[in-house]
Amino acid sequence: MNRGSFAAAGTGGPVGRTFEARARALLARPEVRRNLAAAMDRSAVLRQRAFEGVDLGALRAAGEAIRAHTVARLDRHLARWAERAEARGTRVFFAADAGEAVAYVLEVARRRGVRLAVKGKSMISEEVGLNRALEEAGVEVVETDLGEHIQQLAGEPPAHITVPAVHRSRAEVRDLFARAYRAELPDEDPAHLTRFAREVLRERFLAADLGITGVNFAVAETGSIVIVTNEGNGRMCSSLPPVHVALMGMERVVPSFRELAVLLPLLTGSATGQRVTTYVNVVNGPRGPEEPDGPEELHVVVLDNGRSRILRTRYRSILHCIRCGACLNVCPVFRQVGGLAYGSPYGGPIGAVLAPLLEGFDRAGDLPWASSLCGACTEVCPVRIPLHEHLVALRADVARARAAGLERRAFRWWARAWASPGSYGLLARLARFAQRPFVRAGRIPRAPFPLSRWTRGRDLPPVARRTFRERWRRGGVKGGA
Amino acid sequence: MEREAFLARVRAALVDLPAPPLPEALPPTFASGDGRLFERFAEELAAAGGEARRLPSFALADAVAELAAGARTAVVTPDLGPFLGRVEDGLRRAGCRVLEPTRAAAARAELGITGAALGVAATGSVLLRAGPDAPRAASLLPPTHVAVLPEERLVPGFEGLFAALPDLARGASQAVLVTGPSRTADIERTLVRGVHGPLRLVVAVVAP
Repeated sequence: MNRGSFAAAGTGGPVGRTFEARARALLARPEVRRNLAAAMDRSAVLRQRAFEGVDLGALRAAGEAIRAHTVARLDRHLARWAERAEARGTRVFFAADAGEAVAYVLEVARRRGVRLAVKGKSMISEEVGLNRALEEAGVEVVETDLGEHIQQLAGEPPAHITVPAVHRSRAEVRDLFARAYRAELPDEDPAHLTRFAREVLRERFLAADLGITGVNFAVAETGSIVIVTNEGNGRMCSSLPPVHVALMGMERVVPSFRELAVLLPLLTGSATGQRVTTYVNVVNGPRGPEEPDGPEELHVVVLDNGRSRILRTRYRSILHCIRCGACLNVCPVFRQVGGLAYGSPYGGPIGAVLAPLLEGFDRAGDLPWASSLCGACTEVCPVRIPLHEHLVALRADVARARAAGLERRAFRWWARAWASPGSYGLLARLARFAQRPFVRAGRIPRAPFPLSRWTRGRDLPPVARRTFRERWRRGGVKGGA
Repeated sequence: MEREAFLARVRAALVDLPAPPLPEALPPTFASGDGRLFERFAEELAAAGGEARRLPSFALADAVAELAAGARTAVVTPDLGPFLGRVEDGLRRAGCRVLEPTRAAAARAELGITGAALGVAATGSVLLRAGPDAPRAASLLPPTHVAVLPEERLVPGFEGLFAALPDLARGASQAVLVTGPSRTADIERTLVRGVHGPLRLVVAVVAP
C-alpha cells in the first residue's frame, strides 16, 4: 500500500519537517493570528445561533449512534450503496490507496481527452495529491471554491476544512487576484472580490471537460451522493461538464435519508452555523437519456488509503468524523497557527489524530502534541468523538514507537526512585543543591541538558527551600482550613 | 482494487465487532411550529437572502412581468406544467424574449424560471429536481432564478423533506435543495451573496 501520499499533496505552504518548524514560520506572520482569531470567534457565535431551539444534546447523541452503527457495519452499507449506485449508471471504483485513486482519475481524463478540469472542494483530492498528478498529465485544474481558489493562486494548500483561506486578509486576496489575472482591482471589499471571481470562474465552468468534487454523504438506500455547498460551485462541477468524478473516503456512507435528516443539520450547523447550506445537492446518477443537460458519465472513487487499518484500532471512532471543522474553530492551538502548520490536509484536533494514523508516525507523529488537551474539541464535536482522549492515547503510542532504550531505562529508574519516600526525599535534597547555579529570581529560566529542552519554551519552578514533607515533620504546617 | 477484495478487507477489520443499533426514534430538527406555513417559509427565505411571494395562479403573469421588467431574455422549463402559459405570458408582456432552456441559452439569459418539487417552511428551502422537463442550467446559470411552487407542496420541516427524498432520488438523476441565492464567507468570514449560482432567488408560492 502506498503510504505517505500527502507528500505529493501540499504544494507551497510553510516549509518545515515538523509541526514546530511550520508553526514558527506561521507565528512570524502576525496577520495570520489576527485573521484567524477573528474568524474563529465568529464561527463559534454562528454555530450557537444555528442550534437555537434544537435539543443539541439529543441530536449529537443520535449523530454519534448513527455513525457508530454505520462504521461498525461499513462493509454492508458500502456494498449496498455501490450496488444501487451502479444500478443507476454510476461507475464506482474502489481504490485501495492514493496511487490507485489517482491512476483511475487520470485514466478517465485520458480517455475523455480532458484539457480543463474544474474542482469543487475535496479533501480526498488533497489527500491523494490529485491536482499535481493531473497537471503533470497536461490537464489544467481550477479550484472553484472561492477560498480554495485563493489558496491555489497563492500556491498554498487549503488551511481549513471549510474555510480554506481563513488566515488571509481582504487586501492579500485583492493582491493575489490582481497579480494572477493582471487586473486593476482598486477595491478590496469582499463583495467586489467575490463578483470578480464569479466572472473569471464562470467562463471556466462552461469550458471545462471534467468536474471533480468531494462527497459529504453517500446514501446507501438509493445509491446517491450528497454534496453540500454555499457558493454553487459543487452544483456547477456536478452539472455542467460532460464528466463528473466524485471522490469519497470509504466512511462517508449513511444508511438512508432518515439518518441524513440528523447528520446534515449537525454538519452544516457545526461547520458554518447554517441550519442548511444554500445548496444540498443529491446526485443520483448521470443524466438520463432524455435529459438536456447533466454529465454523461458519473464516476465515484471510494478511497481506503489506510482507513481499514484504523478500523482495527482503538481509534476507530475517528472515522465517525463528518468533516465539519468545528474542532478546528475552538482549538486554542489551531487558532494561533492555522491549518498549514499541520502539514496535512486535515488540521486541528481531527488532523492531529487522523494524519498520524493515515500517514504514519514518521511524517506526522508530532501532531498529537499540537494540543493543550483542553478538550474543547470533544465538547464541540457533533458526533461526540473523544478527540482529546485519542490525542493522549496517540502520544503514548508515538512515544512507545519512538522511545530509545536509554530514555526508557531512565524513566523506569525515575519511577522507582519516586515510589519510595526515602529516595524521593534524597532526590529533592540533591536537586535543591544542584539547582543553585540556575535559579534566577525564583525561577529556572534555563536548565542544563536534558532539561534544557523543557525550559526552551517555559520556566521551571525550582524545588522549594523546604519541602512540604520537611515542614510537616517539623510541625510548620497548620492543620484545618 | 477489486470490489470484493476491498470490502473483504473492511469486513476483516470489523469482524466480531458488535454494532450498536440505529436509534429507533430520531430527535426532531427543524419544524415549523405552528400551521402558518407560508409565513414561516417567507420569513426563513428572507433571512437566507431570498424573496417569497404568495399569489393566486391568475396573478402569476403579472408577477412574472414585474420580475422580468428590464430583462431581455429568459429561459423557462417545461416542469412549470400548468403555470407555463402564464409565465410565458408575463415574460412577453415585459418584452422579454423566451428562449429554449439549453445550456447556451441559460448561460446568457438574465432570468431562469422553473418549477419546484417541494418547499420547506422551517428553512425557507425549495427542492428542485433535474429531469427531461427540468434542465439543471436554467436554475443555475442566470443571475436571477424564479421558482414557482404550488402552495400544497409546502411541508413544515425536515421530516417531510427527508420522507420525500427517497422517491425523488429514485425518480430523478439529481435533486437539489436550494435555500436562498448562492453565498460565501470565504474572505474574512464576511457574508457575500451571489457567488457562482444565482445572485437573486424569488419563490412564487401559488395559492390553490
